Amino acid sequence: MKKLLSLLLAAAMLLTLTAAFAEDSDLAYVQGKGKLVVGITDFAPMDYKNEAGEWIGFDADMAKAFGASIGVEVELIEIDWDNKVLELNGKTIDCVWNGMTLTDEVKSAMSCSNAYANNAQVVILPADKAASYADVPALSGLTFAVEAGSAGEAEVKALGYATTAVSTQADTLMEVAAGTSDAAVIDALMAAAMVGEGTGYAGLTYTFSLNSEEYGVGFRTGSDLVDALNAFLAASYADGTMQAIAETYGVQAAIIPQA
Amino acid sequence: MAILEVEHIQKSFGGTRVLEDISFSLEKGKTLSLIGSSGSGKTTLLRCLNFLETPDQGIIRVNGEVLFDGSQPLKQSASELRKKRLHFGLVFQSFNLFPQYTALGNVMLAGSLLAKERPDYKEHRREIQAELEATGRDLLAQMGLKEKVDNYPHQLSGGQCQRVAIARALALHPDILCFDEPTSALDPELTGEVLRVIRELAERETTMMIVTHEMVFARDVADTVIFMDDGKICEQGKPLDVFDHPKEERTKQFLARYREQR
Amino acid sequence: MELIMKQMPIVFNALNVGFLHTLQLFFITLIGALPLGLLIALGTMSRFKLLSLFNRIVIWIVRGSPLMIQLLIIYYFPGLVLHNPIWGGGETGRFWAASVAFIINYACYFAEIYRGGIQSIPNGQTEAGLVLGMTHRQIFFHVKLLQMIKAIVPPISNEIITLVKDTSLSRIIALQEIIWAGQSFLKGSQGISGAVWPLFFTAIYYLVWNGIMTVALGRLEKRLSYFK
Repeated sequence: MKKLLSLLLAAAMLLTLTAAFAEDSDLAYVQGKGKLVVGITDFAPMDYKNEAGEWIGFDADMAKAFGASIGVEVELIEIDWDNKVLELNGKTIDCVWNGMTLTDEVKSAMSCSNAYANNAQVVILPADKAASYADVPALSGLTFAVEAGSAGEAEVKALGYATTAVSTQADTLMEVAAGTSDAAVIDALMAAAMVGEGTGYAGLTYTFSLNSEEYGVGFRTGSDLVDALNAFLAASYADGTMQAIAETYGVQAAIIPQA
Repeated sequence: MAILEVEHIQKSFGGTRVLEDISFSLEKGKTLSLIGSSGSGKTTLLRCLNFLETPDQGIIRVNGEVLFDGSQPLKQSASELRKKRLHFGLVFQSFNLFPQYTALGNVMLAGSLLAKERPDYKEHRREIQAELEATGRDLLAQMGLKEKVDNYPHQLSGGQCQRVAIARALALHPDILCFDEPTSALDPELTGEVLRVIRELAERETTMMIVTHEMVFARDVADTVIFMDDGKICEQGKPLDVFDHPKEERTKQFLARYREQR
Repeated sequence: MELIMKQMPIVFNALNVGFLHTLQLFFITLIGALPLGLLIALGTMSRFKLLSLFNRIVIWIVRGSPLMIQLLIIYYFPGLVLHNPIWGGGETGRFWAASVAFIINYACYFAEIYRGGIQSIPNGQTEAGLVLGMTHRQIFFHVKLLQMIKAIVPPISNEIITLVKDTSLSRIIALQEIIWAGQSFLKGSQGISGAVWPLFFTAIYYLVWNGIMTVALGRLEKRLSYFK
């Protein structure tokens, strides 16, 4: 029994030792395997599938362009958003590029690129009731459906209003449409794509912004891919590629100038 | 010459001596009855002869050939052991028929597996199988089970099952057929049919060893009787001598107990 | 209603693809776990005490911890701790990682069922075979195997039915099986968002498949009922 225990201890020590010697260059690692694996979720208009089943969107197209610039293939793979840090550190993906809000939590868990797009947390209300709420204080007393752990949840809680946490941003819209919550708070870019005339939620509308925030791309902590991406972003903004891709998906107004 | 000679067999389980200095012999075509109270070592003796247990000491000879010698406990190969086992047949108290085979299937199984090892099996497969089947049917008919050849064990009565088990043992033509309390698991009204079959076998001069509690039967059918007590052979001789004029005190007590129960 | 009619072709296409993944995982698990379980069962009954102990410990760990955690460990551990992400990030890698986790998990459950099945056969069957000059191998294949199969079919059937539903756990490592596919329309996918019915409709797929399995396994049980 003692032998077994010491063996286990030795194995554990070996593991921590190998953990200390991380790869020198993440860029070299990705170029070595010839493929950049990008973790995404189905999130229009950043990453979504076209009729042919291929991943497109502002983030998807930018990721492909970035891959081409460092000479590797790009594989977009759908992940469970809750496991994004696990996926990165487990090297099953190389970056998270999916309209990710740069919060303090995100920045402490991974190394992030420069912000490339503006976003805000916006309030969703039934279209017929939106006019009755003139400003944010008027919203007190309503119950807000929010995505658990999201930036939106943090904003509503900061205001001291009642929240109902659900598992996805889309679920919050369901809540409002079904009348089980009075209002919801989601990403502005998502709201633009999913709410209002011509969408699945024609009866909903989005009103106030509770804050403003920015999107960035996340890499493994200490990864030199961050510098490579920042350089790429600057170059593609300078030559107009980034703006052109943004226009394809109607998000040109949100783009942050890169230098 | 004796077909079976057993000399000085000893066997212990853990620290308990179960068989002590067992010696006897059996002539070809004769029947030996083994009697004695439960736990006297009768069943263990049969299991030793069938190599289900290994004696600690002693010698077992069949037809003069030494099958087991405790003083030379060489590791015997599985195939040697199989060959030696085939000198003996064993009919169990609880039949141990194979439930997924018919009566005929039970009788034929071991024979057809053995036949597959014959060098000429591939050439003569059909003839060999037909012969095995004919033998099997014949044996079952002898057991009075002509109508039951295609029945599965669960469709047969206990007495019928035991008769199938006897046919199964006979199919391999053992030199010595052993019975381990063949009627103990049967309802009283079913013992008769099994005893009748064994009696017929005795009349046809099958060499047999029978462990039984049926005293009347043991006396009638046997040429020799061995009374075992506490792992030892207490008395052996002709049935008339052992049953009617027992010399040993233990034998008298044992037989008296049986008479009281009647 | 009109909206649902419009969504149907897209949704069913996605659900079918998802269910195909579910079935692939289901069959791979059975193909791997049924024989592996027998090896583990024989290991636990081995005369070599160390092998037996080792197998028992494995069974204890695998049956005593949640399958979801096992999936996470098998998929993420190599990259996270050993810095060698052997599975890769692609769908194929995720599928194989899930397969390995399911095969190991179910093999341990099957092992205990096999052990029960083997031990349910009376020793008298072996002894009867031995005195008839059969080898241990012949006794296993010609006498005990079918009895063992008969004894284990009902409990194995239970596990198989559970397996169909358990495959949905693989979504924790983003294997896109049918529930993932159904839920994607709730989150928003292929222009459909907030659609609840595809998620609930996945249950129909499970019900139909489990219906087929129940009938097939019931037939097998019936075919073995000719002996007792």
